[in-house]
Order: sequence, then structure tokens, then C-alpha cells
Amino acid sequence: MDLLQRFALGEIDAFETLVRQFQGDIYGWIVRIVRDQSIAEDLTVETLWRIYRARQQFRPDGNFAASARRIATNLALDHLRRKRPEQSLLAEPAAAPPSDHLLQRETREKIQQAFCRLPAKLQVAATLALVEEQPYDEIADALGTSVGAVKLRVFRAVRILRKQLNHLGLGPGVART
Amino acid sequence: MTEHDDRQIREALKQSFPPVDTELRRDLWPAVLRKLDVHPARVPWYDWALIGLSTSVFVFFPQLILVFAYHL
Repeated sequence: MDLLQRFALGEIDAFETLVRQFQGDIYGWIVRIVRDQSIAEDLTVETLWRIYRARQQFRPDGNFAASARRIATNLALDHLRRKRPEQSLLAEPAAAPPSDHLLQRETREKIQQAFCRLPAKLQVAATLALVEEQPYDEIADALGTSVGAVKLRVFRAVRILRKQLNHLGLGPGVART
Repeated sequence: MTEHDDRQIREALKQSFPPVDTELRRDLWPAVLRKLDVHPARVPWYDWALIGLSTSVFVFFPQLILVFAYHL
């Protein structure tokens, strides 16, 4: 019997195989969005638990990875909606990035603050498209929307960000500061 | 907004958010298993209500047990 069929029937061994196979992908996707390893691990566990709960809805011929990624993205979105803008994304990295000299600390913090004020949906689309440079079709699939809608969200995010940065006194040429 | 501005924003974002390590460092299966144990299948409230109602009926009208048994 197929692995997904066995999983849909509630076989815990089949689920364990799926978890071991896909946990890395799910975690990798979530951590790109939330940018915090501990939170990403918690959300990965939550994603896998939700997948198990909804096992009867999984079609044996369906795409497990795509469904898992969609659930993971929704959970990450919920997390971003819940958290205050000052949290996690503003956390300082353990070591300064090698390109630190390109951007002053203060400027970087202002950009992070402005980014965290974006609506969660725009933030996710912009993070995945602009920071992580993920393919638009994969982002659209994970968000359960079209490529056009993702491009629109990224465009809106950039426009809002530009306005906010201008307001903060970071005009054109911000990347060179 | 020009394409040049757009490119500057992208660059600024990439520099502001350092790359994250996307590799999972530990197996999450034990945590998933724990979560499955923490949330066993719960009996919904209406099932408990039905059980309570049935018990009350059988206590106050024991003759209905025979009617119930007949319909089983």
C-alpha cells in the first residue's frame, strides 16, 4: 500500500516516515518567514500535528509537500500577525553579517522596523520574494494564491516600505548608506 | 517608483536581514509524538451529555432498559 494511503488510514509508522522525509523542508520554509530557529521548530511541530489531524483529507495521489508547505505558511502568517513588531525580526544576529560595513546599524534597524510594520501578508510575500529570493510560483502555491497576487503584494510592500523609509529620513540611495 | 528605487529597496532589505540557517539541526519526531500524546482524541461535550441523559433516564425509568435492549 502507498505511504500516503497508509498515512490517511492513521498508520503511525507511515506518518513517522513522512515526518522524517519532510520535516527539514517544512522547517526551512518556516524559518525563512519567521527568521527565528526556535519559533520555526515549534511551528514545524504544530504543522506536522495539524497534518496528522487532517490525515483523512489527504488524497493518496496528492502532493504532500505542497499541502504541508501551505499549512506551514498559514501558521507562520498567524505567528507574524500575533507577535508585536518589536519581536524576533529585530533580534540581532549572533555574529555581524559580513556585509555589515555596507549598512550602518541604525539604518538597518530602521529598515527592520519599517518592514515589521507591514501587514503580515505583505511581509511574508516580501520576505520570501525579496530577501530569500524564492520563486514566485512556489510562494504563490504556499500562500494559496496566484503569481500575480504575490507580485502585487511584493509591489505594495515595496511601495509602503519606500514611504516609511522616506518618512524616517532614509530616502533614495538607502542601500548605500 | 522607478526600477532603480525598487532595486535599492531589495538591496537594503537583503543587507538588513542576515541570512538564516535553514538546516534543521534536530529530529522533531519525538516532539511531534509528544504533541500527539498531549492531544488524545477527546470525547465531545454532546457525547457526555447524551451519556448523562441516558443514565438519568435508565435510573428513573428502569423499564425503558428493556425497550432499549429490544431495539438493539
